[in-house]
Amino acid sequence: MTAPVIAAGGGRAALRRNFWRGVWRVLKRKPSRMVGMVIVLGFAFMGVFGPMFYPDPLPRDTAALYAPPSWEHPFGTDFEGTDVLALLVTGSRYVLLTALVTAVITVVVGAAIGLFAGFRRGRWDTVLMRITDMKLTIPGLPLLLVLSTIWKFTSALEMGLVLGLLGWGGVARAVRSQTLSLRERGFIEAARGLGLSTTHIIGRELLPSMAPFVAMNMLIAVTGAVYAQVGLFFLGVLPFEANNWGVMLNLAVFGGGAMSSPAALPYLMAPLLAILLLTLGIVLVVDAMDEIFNPRLREE
Amino acid sequence: MKRLAAVAALLGLAAVTACSGSTGDKPAAGGSGSGGGLYTTIDGLKPGLDVNGPINPWNPKGNAFLGFNAMRIAWSKNHLTDPNQFYPGIAASWEIAPDNSSITLHLHPGNKWSDGKPVTAEDVKFSIALAYTQGSTAFAIDPGAAGAASEVEVVDEKTVKITQDMDNPSVTFVRGVMDSYIVPQHVWGSVLPADFWDKLKAARGEGAEAEKAREEITALSEKVLAFAPPKDVSAGPFTLERMNPSEALLVKNKNFYNAANVGPDQVKMLNYTGNEQIWNYLIAGKLDNAPFTAVPADVMKRITTTQGNGVVKGYSPVSLGMAFNQSKKPYDNVHVRRGLAYLINRDEVTKIASPEGGTPAVTTTGIHQKPAAEWLGADLAALEPYKLDVAKAEEEFKEAGLKKEGGKWTLPDGTPWKFTVNVPAPFSDWISGAKAVTSQLTAAGIDAEVVTTADYPLYLKELAEGKYDVGFWLIALGPAPYNIYQRLYGVSNGWSILGGKLKHAEPGKNGNWMGGPETIEVDGAKVNPGELTAKLNSASGDEQKKIIGQLAKAANQDLPVVQLWDYVNTQFVNTNRFTGFPENDSDLLRQPSGVWIQLGMVKKKQ
Repeated sequence: MTAPVIAAGGGRAALRRNFWRGVWRVLKRKPSRMVGMVIVLGFAFMGVFGPMFYPDPLPRDTAALYAPPSWEHPFGTDFEGTDVLALLVTGSRYVLLTALVTAVITVVVGAAIGLFAGFRRGRWDTVLMRITDMKLTIPGLPLLLVLSTIWKFTSALEMGLVLGLLGWGGVARAVRSQTLSLRERGFIEAARGLGLSTTHIIGRELLPSMAPFVAMNMLIAVTGAVYAQVGLFFLGVLPFEANNWGVMLNLAVFGGGAMSSPAALPYLMAPLLAILLLTLGIVLVVDAMDEIFNPRLREE
Repeated sequence: MKRLAAVAALLGLAAVTACSGSTGDKPAAGGSGSGGGLYTTIDGLKPGLDVNGPINPWNPKGNAFLGFNAMRIAWSKNHLTDPNQFYPGIAASWEIAPDNSSITLHLHPGNKWSDGKPVTAEDVKFSIALAYTQGSTAFAIDPGAAGAASEVEVVDEKTVKITQDMDNPSVTFVRGVMDSYIVPQHVWGSVLPADFWDKLKAARGEGAEAEKAREEITALSEKVLAFAPPKDVSAGPFTLERMNPSEALLVKNKNFYNAANVGPDQVKMLNYTGNEQIWNYLIAGKLDNAPFTAVPADVMKRITTTQGNGVVKGYSPVSLGMAFNQSKKPYDNVHVRRGLAYLINRDEVTKIASPEGGTPAVTTTGIHQKPAAEWLGADLAALEPYKLDVAKAEEEFKEAGLKKEGGKWTLPDGTPWKFTVNVPAPFSDWISGAKAVTSQLTAAGIDAEVVTTADYPLYLKELAEGKYDVGFWLIALGPAPYNIYQRLYGVSNGWSILGGKLKHAEPGKNGNWMGGPETIEVDGAKVNPGELTAKLNSASGDEQKKIIGQLAKAANQDLPVVQLWDYVNTQFVNTNRFTGFPENDSDLLRQPSGVWIQLGMVKKKQ
């Protein structure tokens, strides 16, 4: 009597193994995907361990303000002689943690509301979608500008929470329409016919079909969150942290004159390149993910 | 917006002193036939041109450009120590009564508005009526306001006499009068009711009727601010011809009293929203002059390599201080403030934050080092210079009961000490300066951080509400000694003059955010610095000098602020198209270039 249970468990493990093998195969197929993966993992490593490689506070060399790039300072130094690369690395934790929190909140809240509204329809749908509509009409940036005057967003979690709560509307709408189409399919009807619970149908039947879409949205939310928070810091409305990427951009342009003279250019380029690289990495990984989750794209 | 605008605006507010009689200088004679050409500049007071702004000098977004198409009675020289020196504006000359009780203005004979009507004493009186609605030092409607005018009398068509209310005199009276804008009555007449002067008289009394009259006059303020003349009628060297969002074009006013000596035929005011735009204009060689602008060292190099560009430097009566909120611990303890002063390397801070626009403060006196040398003489060298000295700082901190645990300073009760300095986000030089200060303090074991506030008005509001522990604060706004010291021992530190009486408010009340004690110990003796500052309003000669000496010592020992750097008025000129710009250290550098032009200095290059 125990055999089927073992078989079931072994089957799931085998499925998981096959899944990761599939992932590996998909990644290997195009070198660009490997590059994307390396970039994303590199940023994750930088965010988690990067700050440990540098002393706190970072050393300054006031004899070398806005020093040009060299072996010692690959991206030069800032206005008070601190190594720009060190600033970039130590500042990555805030930026990436915010982006992660934002992405998780966007996707969890967006997908939950979209799935529930789309599956239940009726009154729940109306109420939730009107709330979503209302949320979508709130202009994000002006609201953030106003919020920043009363809230200082000193922790990445706070910043991510606010950005996440501002960003779930689009995901909720898209997930709802997907759900509306899926719920009419045979397998859902069968599940309902079997009398399975709503939680089971949503969690076990609908969500897996939506997974690729949700996962891609999550990655795209990461870039969106990076742009949003770096933009806010660039505008100078959020608290000053010398190693924040947005603050670095702001000081390079408005304090160092990076747009008018070359001295502060490396200081400007470092966070810009980092953002560009992160975006590139994510776009390449999204390409791979599309194929992993979408069987029709698999080139077996 | 940017620092330069803030400084300029504050300078505009700075009113002045002294009691000697003087007459106006004659406009510089210039050879005729050197006119012509288009002069390009920016207005340091107006970041962001507003095409819909009214041609109204009182409106902050107005398109009245000071010195070009907006005229004052006279232009202050902002002399190091004598604030009663002016260049002629609407007035050609003036006599100030020896006791400062009145000033008689003589207008330029034959001066006309750009529409051909004569500029008369009635225009001046009418403009003063408008000034009353806005409230200013000389034209305040509050009964008993120090330095307020009591009577404005038209002596003849070209002469006006303004008398000070001698119940409560102030040395700022003359400067207050001279700073008034003059506009044509025949254009602005409809703004004020015919019985304005009767209302004003009633407002000066007491009781319900006076209160009502005051309310009526204050209510006119909005009307004056919103008034938009259909076209520019100016008594300045230029009139506004047309404008678009990127530039304003002004053309020469043929009726201007000194029109024969006005060099350029046209003036173009370029729009800018930030310093970096000004830098780019300068690098491109577009500007014939740019007023004081904070510039990073490398950008300065780029600017000066552009053909024709030159830098003119002069005294700027402004310094930057780091001010403490003494109602917050541990900043109530003078030893903590002194310890911090010993830990800040001002040379390094200035090098990082304002290499081109500032010189490190020699010590903290509350006065810019240039006038300090004049006022204090040898006494300046006797003051504690607070050079970087970690050992002395530790001594002071220990005296204050602070403890050092594991390399970090803590408060006497063992709780961590977090040093937070606030600065407004748009001022990049202040941010760099604050960051340099916190880096130095962090290295010395103080947990220090910079916090920015979204914009300058919000910063000033929150500062005044006592929300910050430490904040950057403009000081030494000379040249009037009273104005210099009221930045340290004035309203923001609790002392205000109401109805001629000096009152001290508790910390947190009536704008007292510095929260210092009413009396402080200077060389072992009790001193009331607010009282001494108020005395500067009426003191003169040796007495004035003595009080300044006492206050400088008080500021040096009590340290309500740590003076970081003294501003240097760094301006840009381009001699490709025009010549005759002021030289280094000229007092004209403290006025907009429209004043240089109207005095006949700037000439087209032959």
